[in-house]
Amino acid sequence: MLNILVLGLGQCGNRILDAMNREAFGRGGAFAKYYTRQKFPASVKTIAINTAINDLKGLVDTRAKDRLHVPHLHGVGANRTLGKQVFEDNKEIIMSEIDRRGTFDLIFIITSAAGGSGSSFAPLLVRELKETYNNAPVICIAVLPFREEGSIFLQNAAFCLKDLVEEKPSGVLLVDNQYLKKYAGDIKSAYDKFNTTTARRLLFLIEALNSEMLMVTDLGDLKTVMNGGIGIGTMGFYEASKDSTIKSAILGSFKPSGLLFPTNVYKEGARAMLIIKGDKKYLDLDLITKTIEDLSTEVGQVFKGVLIQKGRPRVLSLFTLNSVPELEKLYAIAAEAIRFERERQDKSKSQLDSAFSHIEDLEPIY
Amino acid sequence: MNGCRVLVVVAAAALLILVLPMTAAGVETTKVTIGVNEYVVLNNDIYIEVLDVSGDMGWSAQVHFYSYLDPVGTKKTLYTGDIPTEYPSGSGLIIEVTLDSVFSNAASFVIESSKKLYVTDRNAGEVETEPVAVPKLTITRTIDPNKAEIGQTVKVTLTIKNTGNGTATDIMLDEGTIAKTYKDGCPSTIEDIAAGATERIEYDLKIREDAQSGTREMPASVLNYKGESGVSDSTESQSSVLTIIPKEVLLPELTISIDPIDYVVTCGDDVPMVVTITNIGNATSEKVYVKGDLPPGVKLAKGGELEPVYESVKPDKGEEYEVTLVASEEGKHVVEMKMMWAGEEATAVFEFWAEKSGLEKYYVYIIAAIPILLILLWIIKRRREYSY
Ligand SMILES: Nc1nc2c(ncn2[C@@H]2O[C@H](COP(=O)(O)OP(=O)(O)O)[C@@H](O)[C@H]2O)c(=O)[nH]1
Ligand SMILES: [Mg+2]
Repeated sequence: MLNILVLGLGQCGNRILDAMNREAFGRGGAFAKYYTRQKFPASVKTIAINTAINDLKGLVDTRAKDRLHVPHLHGVGANRTLGKQVFEDNKEIIMSEIDRRGTFDLIFIITSAAGGSGSSFAPLLVRELKETYNNAPVICIAVLPFREEGSIFLQNAAFCLKDLVEEKPSGVLLVDNQYLKKYAGDIKSAYDKFNTTTARRLLFLIEALNSEMLMVTDLGDLKTVMNGGIGIGTMGFYEASKDSTIKSAILGSFKPSGLLFPTNVYKEGARAMLIIKGDKKYLDLDLITKTIEDLSTEVGQVFKGVLIQKGRPRVLSLFTLNSVPELEKLYAIAAEAIRFERERQDKSKSQLDSAFSHIEDLEPIY
Repeated sequence: MNGCRVLVVVAAAALLILVLPMTAAGVETTKVTIGVNEYVVLNNDIYIEVLDVSGDMGWSAQVHFYSYLDPVGTKKTLYTGDIPTEYPSGSGLIIEVTLDSVFSNAASFVIESSKKLYVTDRNAGEVETEPVAVPKLTITRTIDPNKAEIGQTVKVTLTIKNTGNGTATDIMLDEGTIAKTYKDGCPSTIEDIAAGATERIEYDLKIREDAQSGTREMPASVLNYKGESGVSDSTESQSSVLTIIPKEVLLPELTISIDPIDYVVTCGDDVPMVVTITNIGNATSEKVYVKGDLPPGVKLAKGGELEPVYESVKPDKGEEYEVTLVASEEGKHVVEMKMMWAGEEATAVFEFWAEKSGLEKYYVYIIAAIPILLILLWIIKRRREYSY
């Protein structure tokens, strides 16, 4: 059994982690935690780490002792420089908290790239974890902000991803909040749904890695996939409808609608891993093999794992990409935003300066 | 005594008969007896001559009064019990004469006057007279006691007095009767009673069990009798009253009671039961037995005596004892305590409900509560685990 550590950093990371914990309770609903135990497909340890205690308090299905507050009164306020400082100050606490949970075969770090705490902690944590658990692959799930969320979030996301890549984790899986727009309703429930989706995919992956599969994928395969391209990738998912073939299910998992980050897999895909679960009757191994062979010509190396499980075929795809045009777009926007912000700041500053200049040689008189 | 006759020679009679001066104020009383066709002279003035005597229609005597100044005089018939007959002599002496009693051929008179009277002369022949002997009976009756209970016997005393001068014969007693009483030894005929004699008759009047209580009148005793001359007469007593009291029956009467009457207990708990025996009768009861009947599932707690025997229970007294029962089965239990005395019996019943013992009663709930409690603890634990 794999020992897996899942770290949720910042509000976003915490909440997705909480969603994973909730999913691990099965379909019991809000009260499941009172009567059942979590069933992770592997030995999974979760820690929610945050500087904002209120975010930690807002969690529901994560055990209290799995919530680590890094004391900095009201969070770091989306300030990555401050965030990095807080991490350095509390590194020992964080690392010893992780250390107490034993050794790990695989580590996930879930964080928003746009926020303060998570985005500043994540690259530094990658460094620390790689040092401490040198054999365990560290995979970052980085949540990108809405493009409209403002210049600070954009710039944070840009610098965070850069910092992350520089720390060379085993891989970065992008989750784009842009997709939240698919979900109706208020932002909170949209977040919840998106978090659940993300959590399920991660658990799906974890389950596949930990299982005796018909066609085996393992940690080594995952490492290889994550090593492909620029080390950045994402996940796709498809659940077959009644009469769809396993082939259409596999192809479905490559569709942009099922991806967590918009990309043209066929064009940008470097390596892929396909995990197929479902009733044996649906799983035509020959067809699976054939489909994947066809895919390989376009996507490159495709690892596959097949898991016999009740229900219709479900397919999780995981890729790394050779190029990320969407990311380039994001950086462009971010740079634009930074420049604009700089200009505005300069302008405000000079305005303020000129305002102050009125009283330059004056003293208050009482 | 019966048939005894006294021959009285007039001369002897004259000697015997005293002139009894009576001491009434200013009145001189003389008693004289005068034979038929004889006379006496009072104070050498008034002549009293008896012409005839009669026993029919009451006793009477035909008398001729005359004097020197009234040689013709008056003839009168005097009756016993009549008001005195007055005769003035003409010379100033006035006498009042009452016929006292009549004999067969003589009459005796009581003569009253304001002057002292003397029999100064008497015409008395050697005539043998037979005195008229007349009995006169009176009867009184006493009942002693005059108050008695049903079943008791009272003494009835009849006192018969002969106040006449003749022997009463053929005396028949017709004694009054109170219904449902029995006159034991009451004669219906009574022996002759001589003049002046008193006869006392006693008999028992038994009040029968079925007699009616209350104030009962006993009708008069009636005496019918005859005198020597064959004249019959009767007399009767006053009626008497006998109060018959209802009989007080002396019997012990016992009651038995159990305290408390109803009870709800728990199986295995002590159930105290106080048995009280009271003699509400008016006699002591000997040997009172108490028997207890415990239903199945009820036992006597150790050390108690359920069935005591009392040697005697006095009237208005009682006995009380406590026993402790223990019910082992749930449900309604009826304990019957029977008391027996002098061939009678009384029963008291003690009912109580035994409920499952405390633990047993709540067993189900406890069993049910345990998982609930565990679940609750679990939930609390979980809550704590997940609240930050
Ligand atoms: N998908 C998802 N994104 C979130 C969630 N909460 C916050 N975010 C995104 O995270 C970014 C803000 O980062 P956050 O995690 O709040 O910052 P931190 O707490 O300082 O690390 C914004 O782009 C939000 O849109 C969430 O629950 N789900
Ligand atoms: Mg936040």
